[in-house]
Amino acid sequence: MKKEIQFEHVKKSYGDTEVVKDLNFTIKEGERLILLGPSGCGKSTILRMIAGLENITDGNLYMNGEKMNHVPSGLRNVSMVFQNYALYPHMTVKQNIVYGLKVQKLPKQEMENRLNSVMEILQLRGLEDRLPKSLSGGQRQRVALARATVKRSDFFLLDEPLSNLDAQLRESARKELVKIHEMFNQTIVYVTHDQIEAMTFADRIALMYNGELQMLDTPDNVYHRPANVFTAKFIGSPSANILEADYRNGWVHTGNQAFEVNDSWKEHMNKQSFDDILFGIRPEHLELSTSPMSNGLEGRIKYIENLGKSCSIYLEADGQEMIAVSENGSWKQGQSVYVRPQSDRIHFFNKATEKSLGHPAERTETNQTIEERRVLV
Amino acid sequence: MKINRTAEVTWHIIFFAAVILLIFPIVYALGMSFKPLEDAYNNVLNIVPFQSTLENYITLFDTLPVLRITLNTFVIATVATIFKVVTAFLAAYAFVYFDFRGKNILYFVLISTIFIPFTVTMIPNYLIVSEMGLLDTVWGVILPQLADAVGIFLIRQSMKNIPLSLIEVARLDNTGHWKIMKDIVLPLVRPAVTSIGIWFFISTWNEFVWPVLIMKTTDNYTLPLALQMFISVEGGTNFTVAMAVSVVTMIVPLALYLTFQKYIIGTFTSSGIK
Repeated sequence: MKKEIQFEHVKKSYGDTEVVKDLNFTIKEGERLILLGPSGCGKSTILRMIAGLENITDGNLYMNGEKMNHVPSGLRNVSMVFQNYALYPHMTVKQNIVYGLKVQKLPKQEMENRLNSVMEILQLRGLEDRLPKSLSGGQRQRVALARATVKRSDFFLLDEPLSNLDAQLRESARKELVKIHEMFNQTIVYVTHDQIEAMTFADRIALMYNGELQMLDTPDNVYHRPANVFTAKFIGSPSANILEADYRNGWVHTGNQAFEVNDSWKEHMNKQSFDDILFGIRPEHLELSTSPMSNGLEGRIKYIENLGKSCSIYLEADGQEMIAVSENGSWKQGQSVYVRPQSDRIHFFNKATEKSLGHPAERTETNQTIEERRVLV
Repeated sequence: MKINRTAEVTWHIIFFAAVILLIFPIVYALGMSFKPLEDAYNNVLNIVPFQSTLENYITLFDTLPVLRITLNTFVIATVATIFKVVTAFLAAYAFVYFDFRGKNILYFVLISTIFIPFTVTMIPNYLIVSEMGLLDTVWGVILPQLADAVGIFLIRQSMKNIPLSLIEVARLDNTGHWKIMKDIVLPLVRPAVTSIGIWFFISTWNEFVWPVLIMKTTDNYTLPLALQMFISVEGGTNFTVAMAVSVVTMIVPLALYLTFQKYIIGTFTSSGIK
């Protein structure tokens, strides 16, 4: 049977509050799926439903092809890393790691082997007899990871496992996770609100908002082909520009200004039906210049945020706010500037539904297999 | 530094005074128990017996089956304590980790029993015990004391401090509830369980009103009842023998404390879960 997790109209509510609404998707065997979204979007609840720590209000959850709705946590072949690590404070590192194996009455030799190998992989040698309280944050995180790894379960669940670490430790912890996944090839479900973690670690990202799945696709597609306004704005920093606009005969009008889209866009837009639209463009896909450009919009710099490597430039164009990015630091507040959207990087959304109106060219990356994509990462 | 020094001295004076206040009655009782009665009346404030005598203890052991009485007290206190701690632990575990219908109401009712004075339940309990034919038996004293809401309350509070994720990790390993209790929850709430156990033991050991209602024959007496025999109005008060009973009453709890001292102190000073 395939080590898949399948949601079929899964709902979760607490009283009258629906925290997960009609979830339908499949997590593939051996993939690294990231559940991404802002706080309170239901992502942790989904993870806890997979673990069996939360009941499913409605719908069905399948794992390995079997219905799991009422199967107790302990029989789901799942291991989990908690945000607070959940190490037993009264047990040593070694005791923490093997406790679950002891409960499962694993033969002593096998237990020793697994312990030794995981201590090696996660560089925990020498810490065997220490108590959690005498470990650093990074060490605790590795112990939690080790404890989940030694179980060798088919499903590996991680609930914001790196959120209590500083930036450098996060990077090395991510590498360790990748290493563990390459060794054991579990099906990984990973909850985070950090889009960098999501973009770097995921095979696919499931973006959640308000208990609903907004988009489920590769990091590349989530970034380049956002399915709706929320996805476009949530992924990417600074956030994507979304402007009120009109589309008429190949021209996009925002306020009193307009620019023309290229032929493939015209062809594409002719096939779509819509009333009002929103126009979207990422800050990094806006060309910025002091002199007028064909197909450019004029604006005025309101505010500049210096990030060192680049500046975020906040503009006002015809009463609407836009952000552009520039590596050039010579911009001045109040200056008049021109911006031009890169025509193959623009997005249109139906204003009423906030859904994407599609894109003339499919991204070639979409057809990559997971393995091919991982090489790129 | 100067201020710290002053504060330190002040605190030491206060602690010293507190220790004197606590120790004095004990030393006084000990001294009294070795005095002849006349001496006790003549030199009331003298702690050290001038003419020490074992007379009081001989009288005590001649009048009463002291070993038997001590054993009664020990059995009652030990059994009641074990039951109260075990039931409190199990109930607290259920209140914290199980979801069941009416949980909050049940808990509320249980906690409200703490505020019911002993005098309210005394007569009904007496009638029930009497009806069961347990008057004048150790079980008659123990039976109404098998569970205690205070213990449930305190252990529950302590359990609620354990992060739920610890229990969840164990559940994901398919760990059963008994094993979770034994391996994870109990070690983490041990300070609470130990202190409650000590409290239960001492309070049952010292209990007077309930055993006096149940116990009729001297052979079944507990130590506080024995003490009362020597300070009763009818029999005339014999302070020195009464003090000898007090000293005997003290021996077992003190011996237990000295045996487990290291452990008990550790309980109260351990930093807890986090």
